[in-house]
Amino acid sequence: MLYALMGLGLSLITGVLNIPNFAHGALFAVGAYFLVSVVGLLGNFWLGLLVAPLGVALLGLLIEWAGVRRLYAAGHDYQLLFTFGLALILNELIIVIWGPVGLSHLPPALLRGGVDLGFTFYPKYRLFVMVMAGLLVVATWLFLEKTRYGAIMRAGIENKEMVSLLGIDIHRLFTVAFALGAYLAGIAGALTAPIRGLSPGMGVDMLGIAFVVVALGGLGNLLGAIAAGLLIGIAQAVVAAYWTEASTVVIFAVMALVLLVRPQGMFGIR
Amino acid sequence: MKRRDILKIGAAAAGLSLPAIIRAQSKEVVILGLWDQTGAFADVGPLNDRGMRMALEERGMKILGQPIKYVTRDGATQAGTSTRRAEEAIDGEGARFMIGPWSSGVALAVSEVAKRKKVLHFFSGGTEDISGSRCHRYSFQWAASPYTAAKTVVDNFMKANPKAKRWHLLVADYAFGWSVEKYIKEVGKAHGLEFVGADRHPLGEREFSNYVQKAAANKPDVVAMINFGGDAVAGAREIFNFGLTPKVPLILSWSSGVEELIQLAPEIRENMWVGTNFYYTADTPVAKEFVKNYRAKFGTPPGYAPSAAYSMTRLMLAGFDKAKSTDTQAVIKALEGIEVNDLLGKMRVDPATHQTLRPYFFLRCKTKSQMKEELDLATVIATGDTPLPKEYAACKDIGSF
Repeated sequence: MLYALMGLGLSLITGVLNIPNFAHGALFAVGAYFLVSVVGLLGNFWLGLLVAPLGVALLGLLIEWAGVRRLYAAGHDYQLLFTFGLALILNELIIVIWGPVGLSHLPPALLRGGVDLGFTFYPKYRLFVMVMAGLLVVATWLFLEKTRYGAIMRAGIENKEMVSLLGIDIHRLFTVAFALGAYLAGIAGALTAPIRGLSPGMGVDMLGIAFVVVALGGLGNLLGAIAAGLLIGIAQAVVAAYWTEASTVVIFAVMALVLLVRPQGMFGIR
Repeated sequence: MKRRDILKIGAAAAGLSLPAIIRAQSKEVVILGLWDQTGAFADVGPLNDRGMRMALEERGMKILGQPIKYVTRDGATQAGTSTRRAEEAIDGEGARFMIGPWSSGVALAVSEVAKRKKVLHFFSGGTEDISGSRCHRYSFQWAASPYTAAKTVVDNFMKANPKAKRWHLLVADYAFGWSVEKYIKEVGKAHGLEFVGADRHPLGEREFSNYVQKAAANKPDVVAMINFGGDAVAGAREIFNFGLTPKVPLILSWSSGVEELIQLAPEIRENMWVGTNFYYTADTPVAKEFVKNYRAKFGTPPGYAPSAAYSMTRLMLAGFDKAKSTDTQAVIKALEGIEVNDLLGKMRVDPATHQTLRPYFFLRCKTKSQMKEELDLATVIATGDTPLPKEYAACKDIGSF
């Protein structure tokens, strides 16, 4: 589910803005660190979960407004360099602000420990994350499918020129899409913090997976990103149960397999 | 541009680079610290660098009256990058002494470079091969033998928990993990241990839920992890999230000590037992002084990483002192059989294998209420220094220069 969340955010940015966002992993990490700081400041996990991703969205807003906006006309090389450089800068900033050594963050007391599901034993917090990520994915999907602004955003993915010719401020659309993508990365990071802990390099691990999800689902295909995220998560869990050594490789094996059969991704059109 | 012009430029470039080589060969002693700034051990490299720098600065960056030039390279926790950059530093900077890197798998490749380029190489530890099957005259191992570690951990844990006989192992899938796993199983025989599971995970794993689910299904008396750094932290966290600890004791058999422990909340550390090559409450004068200076400088007490770099550098400099020479082979000869009373207490380098014989530490983590301050993490409950028995020794002949 977390993979779906990451993939969805990245797919949104890649689809609407048509840029490869290599800073997506760094935004994920920033979300986690924001959570820890906000919780440390306010002493309430739920408030942190609310505020931290908004902070990342704000950061996304700033990045789009100050940097990415200037590069739409430039080629993919420049966009790639910019977002990649940004990822390095954010990564180093995390080290400067929070230190090179990782941190642990405990789940709120309510969600500590596990529940016996009969067939297996599962931590409560993970169940919560699953539900939470599911709700977010559904909410994002509803926003994109059922609201007017969502429709405009989807139209933006299909045909930018047409959308702007219809008198819609495409720049604002881009900014909002980037901020929304950043928000999704941020909340994925915040939700992950108690499970995986925090380290400055945490975004790098996630970035690779997010790109796999986007490629699997089909570039810019939002429903595809959700499906691909689920597929990869399930594949990884199943393989790990029987052949633990292969659980990381399976992500890329699934991608290679799907892309061999359908080079445009599972639901892709281009 | 004509062919002749290109040749001219080439000749000019060759001429320019010549003085650099000559300069490097002058009186200064060039020592390379091969520390990872990127890759799986990106968080460890900067700490290694701190320790090494402190040991050199204590000497005023001088040895036997000659200035020391300390150069570092980022090995990126990868064999290819590490060997390439080590060779570059040896050829370009004139480094004749090298310490690092951190990963045992990578260090095995770097050790080959040391042998080929005839450079003294000090390495912390993890794999048993550097002082074992792939031993040679140029490489030295600082960390305890995996056998010493396994014996210290298993013997002392069983002394405290005689009934905990069903063990589940989580093993990092590379040279270091395999070595320690082998000896834990070997030493376990004497205690009648039953290994109900042993799962291997790749280096840099962050998603342990599936491994822990499997471990929980085995209903073990003990979970023992043989992994390091971020892997150990992620694993311990997940084992707690699943509700195994504190009911089931968790052993970190080869831990960095402070660096790993402070990443875990006190609740997670409850009923955790830790084997480590260094813990900062070690009761030696050198350790006390080092810990005091390190804390003054960086705020936290030093863990395994900076201490290993610090101690290796000190040991190597002790070799210079004994040899009264800065010649690589003279220093190697001096280090063989050297005995010092240093950071860990009595330390001796076995001339036959280049393994440092030294104590290994076994700790028990304190509960939240037992801790006097944030960094009062654990008590040293035992140390052990049983060397690798002769029948296991894989280094039959260390060879010549």
